[in-house]
Amino acid sequence: MRGRGSLRALDPILLLASLALVAVGILFVYSSGVNSAGESVSNEWLKQIVWAGSGCVLLALFAVTNHQKYKPRTPYVFLGALAILVLTLLLGREVNGARSWLGVGDLGIQPSEFAKLATILFLAAYLSEIGNGIAELPRFLLALLVVTAPMGLILLQPDMGTGMVYFPIFLIMALIAGARIRHLLFVGLVAILTIVFATIPAVQRLRAAADPGFWRMITDVGVARYTLLVLGLVAALAAAGQRLFHRAYYYWLMYGAALLGVAVAGGLLMSMVLKEYQIMRLVIFVNPWVDPRGAGWNIIQSVTAVGAGGLSGTGFLQGTQSHLRYLPQQSTDFIFSILAEESGFLGGMLVLVLFGVVIGRGIVIMYAAGDEFATLVAAGIVAMLLFHTVVNVGMAMGVLPITGIPLMLVSYGGSSLWTALIGIGLLANIGLARARRGRARATVAGRAPLEPRRLLRP
Amino acid sequence: MSDSAPSPVLKRRTIGLAAATGAMFALIAGYLYLLQVVRGVEFRNLAIDVARREVAIPAQRGKIFERSYTLPLVTNRPAFSVDLIPGEVPAAELPHLLERLAAHLNMTPQQLAARIPRHQRHLFRPIELKRHVDFATIATLAEQIDSFPGVAWHSEPARDYGAIGALAHVTGYVGDVTREELQVLFNQGYAADSTLGKSGVEKQYEHELRGVDGIGHRTVDVRERAVSEIWQTAAAPRPGRDVVLTIDWDLQRAAQEALGPRVGSVVVLQPATGAILAMVSYPWFDPQTFIGDGGAAAFRALAADPSFPFVNRAIRSAYAPASVFKILMTTAIEEEGTFSRDYKIRCEGFLVYGDRIFKDWVKEGHGPIDLDDALAQSCDVYFYRAGSALGITSIAHYAHEFGLGTASGIDLPGEAVGNVPTPDWKRREHGEPWVGGDTVNLSIGQGYITVTPLQLANLVALVVNDGVIYRPHVVKEIRDGISGEIVSRTEREPIHTSAIGSGTLAFVRKAMRLVVTDGTALPVLTTDAVAVAGKTGTGEVGIEDHYHSWFAAYGPYDATDPLEQIVVVVMVEAVNVWEWWAPKAANLIFHAAFTGQTVPEAVAYLKPWYGEAVFNPLQPPAEEGAEEAAPADGAESAATDGSESDADGSESDADGSAAP
Repeated sequence: MRGRGSLRALDPILLLASLALVAVGILFVYSSGVNSAGESVSNEWLKQIVWAGSGCVLLALFAVTNHQKYKPRTPYVFLGALAILVLTLLLGREVNGARSWLGVGDLGIQPSEFAKLATILFLAAYLSEIGNGIAELPRFLLALLVVTAPMGLILLQPDMGTGMVYFPIFLIMALIAGARIRHLLFVGLVAILTIVFATIPAVQRLRAAADPGFWRMITDVGVARYTLLVLGLVAALAAAGQRLFHRAYYYWLMYGAALLGVAVAGGLLMSMVLKEYQIMRLVIFVNPWVDPRGAGWNIIQSVTAVGAGGLSGTGFLQGTQSHLRYLPQQSTDFIFSILAEESGFLGGMLVLVLFGVVIGRGIVIMYAAGDEFATLVAAGIVAMLLFHTVVNVGMAMGVLPITGIPLMLVSYGGSSLWTALIGIGLLANIGLARARRGRARATVAGRAPLEPRRLLRP
Repeated sequence: MSDSAPSPVLKRRTIGLAAATGAMFALIAGYLYLLQVVRGVEFRNLAIDVARREVAIPAQRGKIFERSYTLPLVTNRPAFSVDLIPGEVPAAELPHLLERLAAHLNMTPQQLAARIPRHQRHLFRPIELKRHVDFATIATLAEQIDSFPGVAWHSEPARDYGAIGALAHVTGYVGDVTREELQVLFNQGYAADSTLGKSGVEKQYEHELRGVDGIGHRTVDVRERAVSEIWQTAAAPRPGRDVVLTIDWDLQRAAQEALGPRVGSVVVLQPATGAILAMVSYPWFDPQTFIGDGGAAAFRALAADPSFPFVNRAIRSAYAPASVFKILMTTAIEEEGTFSRDYKIRCEGFLVYGDRIFKDWVKEGHGPIDLDDALAQSCDVYFYRAGSALGITSIAHYAHEFGLGTASGIDLPGEAVGNVPTPDWKRREHGEPWVGGDTVNLSIGQGYITVTPLQLANLVALVVNDGVIYRPHVVKEIRDGISGEIVSRTEREPIHTSAIGSGTLAFVRKAMRLVVTDGTALPVLTTDAVAVAGKTGTGEVGIEDHYHSWFAAYGPYDATDPLEQIVVVVMVEAVNVWEWWAPKAANLIFHAAFTGQTVPEAVAYLKPWYGEAVFNPLQPPAEEGAEEAAPADGAESAATDGSESDADGSESDADGSAAP
């Protein structure tokens, strides 16, 4: 089936847009390494070129390798990824307070990046295997458990930003796989409420004046016990009522009580597990000016850099916020800020449009994949790219908390870039399969389908 | 065919996902537009502000001149501050660097290290290590700059007090701003490393002398490394204004040498204007020693000196005026007509008042004596009786009339007010009623009354000026620091106009002249250069053979031009060996002032009076300095309860709070 001719059907828009983003990334990684005297003091841009070059080879490899081949092997890939994550926890190098690096000397990888792909593949295989079963709660929870495993290991590093990526990946994949909206809503709301509840003690401390009486119900372990007990009782009674009377409001009462209960428990757990500075990151984003020289510094400097860009920017290598080093981590977390400062609204929009094209093509490929496994892999990759883009840009603009996740394809970093390029390669291959099948239909009309369709029967 | 047609659920959900994606991107684009295009200017300014540091460009401090404006007394000399830019020094290298640097700067490595806060060690913001480093040290450092990475210096002129001697009490000195001062002065543009006037003219005229610092800006990066030169904005530094003193340098030096190494003070005043021509207080200090190595130690040593060298005794110490007070009494008696001029009182050497005996300084008494002779001979008994007749209310009234008990308003900080006792005051302060004996005691300037030497100079000025006291001042004019143009001039300002008749005052002047021509001062006022009129005073302090010595006088007595006249008040404290030095010093000052001779020349001319006296302040006073075995003016051996209440620098030195 595979031939040279079919490779020409690789989605050119997807690939060009992706490579354009990588090129923009290299430019601004270079810019971020130029100091106030105009000298380049960092070789990150050279390393990034090496990562990009090797990443393109990986992209090509994945683009020409039939993705269906991975499907039977996904359990091993996934277990291997989990094993490496455990290894990272035990032997990893600590960078910026998180034990997320694994490697020897200067050579190292961030396993949490690659684990995303492994999880996507395994989850896609599992979901495509169970088919409609995802609509049932036990299967849904089992699928959730699949992503909770790597997520938990990453949160233990602790790398909150990267860990959180698994939520949207799971939600979007499950959404496309046909999960029930109420289940997805439950998971999404629990995630959001858990974060809110975990930050409440810190917010209370900052405000000082507010009466903590009410919030102690969920923040004070001693009091929250009873809150949880009451919520559990309500949920149990409502469940019993539902079973006996089959009334919708019993169901929603149970739904709400369980939602709150899980979120409260999660919030307590989170505030115990997370370090002070991580909680502060969440809090500070609400109002960075409470601590302008401390935790709020990054947000303020980043927003200033973005805003100072104006319509057309200060010019390449001319940004003051970046070259005077007011902007922290400008080659990774805040690369969008330096880009926005130096190339302005026009440059920022160009990058957004390119991401829009990549994600848009990803959605098209996902929709037209024609195979459940392929559709779900594409959905996972789209979710990953979408979440990284929105959160990273939102963080640079100061509207989302600083979570420390890179702008995929653009930010400096081999693991992140390779993961993104492999993802693009997978997307391209899925698109290729679609194109191939289209041509096959055109040439061998009337032939029986390759595989029976099981996906998403209503 | 139908197999590859996606199910409707997938379609719905894909559309939902695409719509949500589109919405998120639209929101991001919209917010990006808001930040960059709508609020772009605001953030661009913020970005400029973040990287911009204001740099003060120090203004040159104004100079201080003597009255002719030809002789600068206090100036600025070039000096340097040595800085360290810690960011340029590798952390491991810092201790070695400080060790080498310490040897050059006369400091210990620990002292240097203490100046560099740990949290600033990665920054490129210069930290001042030492001020007032001389050019030679800088030259040495410059030659070996390769072995001193991160070391820099900047010019920072230091105050140069030259050899102003006792004038330091008038000029004052500058020092580093203290935390407390900064809290008050922060809004006036002072910074933690500012210097400011701590006393004297330096403090009083700080506002004129200081000038206005210029403001420069420069761009710095996040580690405070300067990435641009300083560029000046509209605010260039404006140098401080020059201050021209009323001090006559020759007279000042004469007064200083005439007093010599005796604890006390001299005020020379031009009565017609209030201008202070000379002001000396011994011991004095040399502000130059506060600057540079060991400056702080020198300052601390002076501040702890039990003789209070920081106290300007001419204005800050109040003493019982003793017999000098009889000038005031004579005026009151004549003006009130208590006793007529020719009314003679028989002085038998003592007066019995109630159950107390008040003695005269001449044991055998002066015999029959009238008012001007009583002043000339300083007859105590006469004034005991006249004072009793006048009463406390009248005496206090005249004391106030002569400006006692109130500040003169001289343009120097820290003036003492002295005290004019009244019955109310005594009840309040001592809880005892005023008794007649208090009035008797007060009549000869003893008891509760205290005055400063400056107040006594004003008292004489009132007599000379026919009832007017002009505000005493040490600053004649303020001039522009660059062009030298006069910015403001101190106009003469009457602070007190008395209703005392001019006939009365003419009589008092004549009586004061009699003191010199035929009275107690006759033996010592030997100058033939000028006709002096004055009054001696000798105050008992309760130590045997130790007396305060006063002399308050003016001359020429017969001047036609009032501007020619000067008032000289000399006060020599009782802690000195008794030499009856006040009139002797005044004699020299008058002679020097009206002949143009220096003090050694005057001494040579006026011999044999000063044969063995000590003039050089560097030598200790001679043990047997006095020719008089007994005080010529006599101690008013009145039954006093402590002759002073507020004297001898009992106010501790308030200036000593801030080491330079």
